[in-house]
Formats: sequence, structure tokens, C-alpha cells
Amino acid sequence: MHVNRLPFVILAMACLGSAGCDEALSDLTGPTRNLQPTFSSIQREIFDTTDSAGRRACTQCHNAIGSRFNGMDLTASVSYANLVGVASRVKPGAVRVIPGDPENSYLVHKLEGRAGIAGLRMPLVGPPYLTSGQMLVIKRWIELGALNN
Amino acid sequence: MTWLRIVTLVAVCVAVTPAVALAQNNPAPTQADDPDRDPNRAQPDFTIVNLPTTLRVPRFKSAFRVTHRFARPLGAGDFGSLAEDLFGLDSGAQIGLEYRFGLMRGLQAGIYRTSNRTIEFFTQYSALQQRDNGFVGLDVVASIDGTNNFRDSYSPALGVVVSHELGTHGALYVEPIWVNNSNPLPSDLADDNSALLIGLGARVRIRPTVYLVGEFIPRVGYDPGVNHGTFGIEKRAGGHVFQLNVSNGFGTTMGQLARGGTGSEDWYLGFNISRKFF
Repeated sequence: MHVNRLPFVILAMACLGSAGCDEALSDLTGPTRNLQPTFSSIQREIFDTTDSAGRRACTQCHNAIGSRFNGMDLTASVSYANLVGVASRVKPGAVRVIPGDPENSYLVHKLEGRAGIAGLRMPLVGPPYLTSGQMLVIKRWIELGALNN
Repeated sequence: MTWLRIVTLVAVCVAVTPAVALAQNNPAPTQADDPDRDPNRAQPDFTIVNLPTTLRVPRFKSAFRVTHRFARPLGAGDFGSLAEDLFGLDSGAQIGLEYRFGLMRGLQAGIYRTSNRTIEFFTQYSALQQRDNGFVGLDVVASIDGTNNFRDSYSPALGVVVSHELGTHGALYVEPIWVNNSNPLPSDLADDNSALLIGLGARVRIRPTVYLVGEFIPRVGYDPGVNHGTFGIEKRAGGHVFQLNVSNGFGTTMGQLARGGTGSEDWYLGFNISRKFF
């Protein structure tokens, strides 16, 4: 190698080596390593599946039969319609999911157990509850407009 | 997206190649007449406070630097309490150790570690010298820092340092530097995962060996906290430079600077000490 090219080679190596740097989402989402900020992924990994940490699937209670008592069916065919832009039945004035506004979405309040919620933090049989990484993904989905994607 | 970044970065590298190659056509002088060894009164050090200058490390020579950023904000508590704590010196500090080496004429590389276990590797190439063109100096800088002793969260940076020396009275700096992955979250969960720093800096000589220094680093893209700012006073003593500074954050690596200062109300005492081994 000609010595005159050395600075260029060093700079190019530095650039190429750095081009793909990013944190892995799977490192953050812990017991649901495939979780993505999309509705289909949240449905599959959170609502429908008991994760490896033992957090129970939401649909164990929030299904067609359970919804007669708890007011919300999260089975895949109807969950989106029951969440986005829908008023809570038990907390007057609260909306379950407000597109673009995770901090004021009642779903987030219930999953994080915030003060002022009606009833108990979800999942009812927790702990374990959703991890902070799983909550970040749900909030990001809402922040991006809570699309049915 | 990654391929787009790679193509962009390669394009930048190709763009700087002619300058690099052109500058390399001059044979290296012998050590005795190497102008890089001469004291530079306008730029006595390799950094302003945190940002790089265009001062060159002579070939096969080196320099060492210690940075301290004390953790107690100068505005916390009353004056008596602050004085009892010697203005923060009794509190903890983020400490950094840096070593840089002149690989060849105009090319330097180094390593810097801060006490929060961040390690930064950097390289800098002097593409233009003001002593040649009479107007500006221009360096290309590249670095990458990684947290947890370079095991987690890598933040690469690429940019240029443009300096204009004001005779022997000091120098002005503009430093556009792109820092990738400055957001600690995965890009899937963030609007911005990189930041363009527009580093602005100045060093003014107020006495034969005493300087005032200042930096301000506005950002475009991922910009939490406040834009990092710092100012200070320094004294050159032979191959040493002693600097006392006040900053609105603890950032010293490119990734840390891209994450901004802690708050506009929080100012922290700090110091830098550097030593040239030539």
C-alpha cells in the first residue's frame, strides 16, 4: 500500500465501520425479543402471548367471553376497533388509545399502574407486568399514530 | 437505510481524498525543520475545551490530556455551602484521560476514556494549513465512542474543523460534525438517531501566555437537554496548558456532546491539563 493513501484508508475504515451503529431493539424488549412498534406485533407478542418472563397474555381474560365482565375484548379480530379512539367504559373522560399521545392514553395508564386509574394495574395477575422496554414499544406505536399496521 | 448511510459516508471520504493526496505530495521534512514542532501562539492546544483545534501533532510525537468536570452545579445551595465544597471540587467528577499520537505528518490518532466508562477512538487529518493558504486551516475528524468500555452503544462521528487564526491573538472555529447513534434508544423507538453538531469556538490571547476560550454547540436532529456550552481561561506554560472552565454539562466525547448539556441553569466547574511531548 502506498503510504500517501494511508489517511484516506483510515478515514474510510472509520466511516464504514461506523455506518451501521444502532442499538438492538431486541435488547430492550427482553422477554418478547421480536416485539416491534406495530399493532400486529403488539397483538401477537403482548395481547396474544404469555411471554418468557411469565407475564400473562391479555387475551386470557380480555376475550369474547371475558369482555362481558371486563368490558374489553382484545382478540385479534376486534382489538384495534376496541382500542383506538374508544372511550373507556370505567373511567369517565379517558380514551383507551389516543393516536399520537401515549402519555394521555388510558391503556398506558392501566399498564403502568398510574395513579387515578379505575380498578387495578394490568395484567391483573401481575407481577410480572410489562417491562419498561415493552412499554416503550407500545408508547412508540401510539406516538406514531396508533396505526393498524 | 444502512446502505444509504454507507454510500453517503463513502462519498464524503472520496470527496476529501484529493485534498489528502495533494497534501501528501510534499515530502516530510526532517525533524529539525518540522514547522509542526514550532509553538503556535494562536492555537496552543489540540482542543478548545472539548472540540478539536487544527493544531497538528508532529510526526511520531504525542500529547496527553486530563479532563475533569465536577458534578456539583455552581448554582446548587447558597454561597457558603458552595464555598465549603470548594465550588464543587469536593464532589465527584467525570474524569477523562487522553493520549494522541502523530502517525505521520498532518495525521494524528488517539484514545480518550472518561470515568463513566466511555472510550473514544479518534483520528484527525490536517487537509489545509492556514500558513499555506493564508486564510483558513481545515481538518477532517473521525471518531467513535462506545459506552461500557467500548462494549455498548457506539456513536461514530465525522466532520471537519475549520479554523481561522487571528495572527497570534487567537483563533476562531466552525466545526460541523455529524454524530450517528447519539440517541441511546434503538432507532425504531426514536424520531432522530443522529445529530449534526455545529461547533462554534474561539480562543483569544489576552496576555502573552493567557487565553480566554469558549465553545457553543448547537445541534440539528436528536437534541435532548440543552446545547452544550462552555467557557474558560487557560495558561500555557512551556509544553503544558492549564485550563479552568465552566460548562453546562459533563460531555467531552463527541457522543456526549451530541446528547447535550444537563440544563441551562446548571453550570459546572472543570479543568483540563494537557502536555505536549515535543
